[in-house]
Amino acid sequence: MRYLIKFTKESEIKFVGHLDLMRTIQRMMKRSGLPVVYSQGFNPHINLSLAQPLAVGVYSGGDYFDAPMEEDVEESAVKEAMNRVAPPGIKILEVSKIRDEENKKVFKSMAAIDAASYRIKLRYRDASLLEKEMDALLEKKEWTILKKSKSGEKVVDIKPLVRSIDFRIVENILVVEAVVSCGSKDNLSPELLAQLIKDSTSSVDEDAFIDIKRNEMYADVDGKLVPLFKYIKTI
Amino acid sequence: MNRISDDILSKVEKPARYTGGEYNSYIKDKEKIDIRYAFCFPDVYEVGMSHLGMKILYYTLNEREDTYCERVFTPWPDMEKLMREKGIALYALESKDPLDQFDFLGFTLQYEMSYTNILNMLDMAGLQVRASKRSEDDPIVVCGGPCAYNPEPLYDIADMFVIGEGEEVNNELLDLYKEVKAEGKGKTEYLRRASGVQGVYIPSLYDVEYNEDGTIKRFFPKESGVPEKITKRIIKNFNDIEYPDKFIVPYNEIVHDRVVVETFRGCTRGCRFCQAGMIYRPVREKCTAKIIENTDKLLNSTGYEEVSLSSLSICDHSDIQNLVFSMAERYEKDKIGISLPSLRIDSFSVDLIKQIQKVRKTGLTFAPEAGTQRMRDIINKGVTEENLMESARSAFSSGWSTIKLYFMIGLPYETDEDIAGIADLGQKVVGEYFKVPKEVRKKGLRVNLSTSIFVPKPFTPFQWEPQIRMEEVEAKIRVLRSAIKSKAISYSWHETPVSYLEAVVARGDRRVCDLLVKAFEKGAKFDGWSEYFSFDIWMEALKESGIDGDFYAHRKREYDEILPWDFIDIGVNKAYLIEENEKAKKAVVTPDCRLGCTNCGVDINLKGECFEGAVSN
Repeated sequence: MRYLIKFTKESEIKFVGHLDLMRTIQRMMKRSGLPVVYSQGFNPHINLSLAQPLAVGVYSGGDYFDAPMEEDVEESAVKEAMNRVAPPGIKILEVSKIRDEENKKVFKSMAAIDAASYRIKLRYRDASLLEKEMDALLEKKEWTILKKSKSGEKVVDIKPLVRSIDFRIVENILVVEAVVSCGSKDNLSPELLAQLIKDSTSSVDEDAFIDIKRNEMYADVDGKLVPLFKYIKTI
Repeated sequence: MNRISDDILSKVEKPARYTGGEYNSYIKDKEKIDIRYAFCFPDVYEVGMSHLGMKILYYTLNEREDTYCERVFTPWPDMEKLMREKGIALYALESKDPLDQFDFLGFTLQYEMSYTNILNMLDMAGLQVRASKRSEDDPIVVCGGPCAYNPEPLYDIADMFVIGEGEEVNNELLDLYKEVKAEGKGKTEYLRRASGVQGVYIPSLYDVEYNEDGTIKRFFPKESGVPEKITKRIIKNFNDIEYPDKFIVPYNEIVHDRVVVETFRGCTRGCRFCQAGMIYRPVREKCTAKIIENTDKLLNSTGYEEVSLSSLSICDHSDIQNLVFSMAERYEKDKIGISLPSLRIDSFSVDLIKQIQKVRKTGLTFAPEAGTQRMRDIINKGVTEENLMESARSAFSSGWSTIKLYFMIGLPYETDEDIAGIADLGQKVVGEYFKVPKEVRKKGLRVNLSTSIFVPKPFTPFQWEPQIRMEEVEAKIRVLRSAIKSKAISYSWHETPVSYLEAVVARGDRRVCDLLVKAFEKGAKFDGWSEYFSFDIWMEALKESGIDGDFYAHRKREYDEILPWDFIDIGVNKAYLIEENEKAKKAVVTPDCRLGCTNCGVDINLKGECFEGAVSN
């Protein structure tokens, strides 16, 4: 039986990288005493796949991994067993069985994701012009930015990848709530969006850490975004 | 509480070093405890967190309801810079409280080249590095660990030293602390009374006089009632000593990221260069059932996928075969790997490792330590060439193709033939490979030779011997390099002056403390890390503190000289060490004491029993 598991990577462990987070989850699963499945090969490890890696420094209230078990265990029992031995920086929120059917494509959380919602906080030295500048940015037709990747640099328009965006200003902090494309088809990293906002506004505190939290990940069902843990129950 | 902002953490390498909150770390209510103890490891997080002694003492101290033990590591220089800029004092990982709020700062001394980090950590905590300059209200700085067997170079840094195994004596010291505190008395009174506890050395209660030639004339207690000799502590019933049932599981990878279970303390081999082999006597074992019980608990509570069996020479455990086979069988289903550090050089050990490494054959490492039989006899490394060839043959026929061999250069009474012998030994191992039929052996033979520079250590038969000079080291390395013939052999070596300074500090006296303070003031830190070690800083520090490094590193001592550490009783008689050095000169071996007592004195002096109930395998 395979399970889709929704978990948090709390703010206190935001600086833990992807591989270390994987290891941390694997050790949590091992401690849980659940009938985990091991990979084959020279160096067997617990089978699990994380839906979408989080960058170092980014935390999450809604991340996912899927993992098989040797036996059919109740969802609530899986959740309880893992939370009992979860490290302080991780909480298991939802556990759903993945009902793979024969002759149908195997569900992979990684492939099911179409979008993710983020909250981005940027600190400003002076926020007096900020509202105006943000309004102007939202009005713009194209959001072009230089994207650096391993294959080189290119100028891209990221606006089509943003499904919704909203902001508020709390004292000198700009709080942006955005839903953006995420996954293997289209993907916008929240860091790039934050960079665009920094480039389009004045007086940002360059020294400050940009606080980014992923809230949820979604599947696109006929244009409607459904949180992954709800989506899994419909298929 | 310090607030370490994300602004800072996002700018440093591996921020998880500084945030704490790991699984199985202790969180206690500060209001409900009497004693706050900061266990300080003078190196970076990943190194310190791998250290077994810290895991044990963190556990035993926190098992006391009245005590809250927290962890402190040396911030990496990138973090140190930011902390100093922002005025953040060095803090403990659990509460994030600065160190001056603690009752005790306990430093573990694992290697001499970490000492400047201790000074730097005290300074980062806003404390004076010199004990004599700290006030009655400052925390008590206590040092322990293997290097504490010569405490003198840190005599004015630490307030107190613990000599020997810490589990029991720590409890006595904490009980005493509460008692003294309840009487409304302070640090000075506490230290005076602590001097009466076996294994405890309070340097401020002693004084030294020197001869004109710089050697020690007299070492003596300054007041009556303070013991003249400090006898080390040992845990007598090692089998039943409390062992942690949980380890902290760090979020980021550490050097030894696995369960470690202690199988025995001490070693019976009697290698003459080895300090651990002398200071940890007598040998005391844990029985197989106990080791498995400890392992079960730790695997369950950590979720680690590997267990390492710890000791000085693991294959010497009297039930090792049964232990390893039982564990391999027991943990196979849970895919737990078993690792054995410190492999003995014989086919028995190779067979053993074969059993637990069924799939992936990583390289095998052996430490013959010296290249010729004569030299191995001098250092009493009870290994013959035939042992090594058998082991190599066995390894090559079972699928290994990489063998690493560790040696020391600069050993006492060493000649160029002994050095060339290292290359020769490597060549013979290559020969063994080609004797194994082609269809059996694995392709890609590698024989890696590596040498380190010998540093004479206190409480060894070689404690009177000079360290060789850097020019001699270079010459020896040239001899060895030119003697290597086969392309399958690679050679790596250290040529660094670090070992010179290590030799100065290892056998240093109280005057070396000035050198440490001077080096720290000039910016020495992380001296064990080649990217931070600066020989120039140390050379200047030697000059400015008026210390003659050669006096400590290169001088041959007479047997009747008072050595700086002579006031410490490790249980092994000095006469025994002298006798061993004399036998070394004649290349006469002393057999493993499992085969018969060699009368080192430890059983009589410490009223313990060697090697209770166990046999030789």
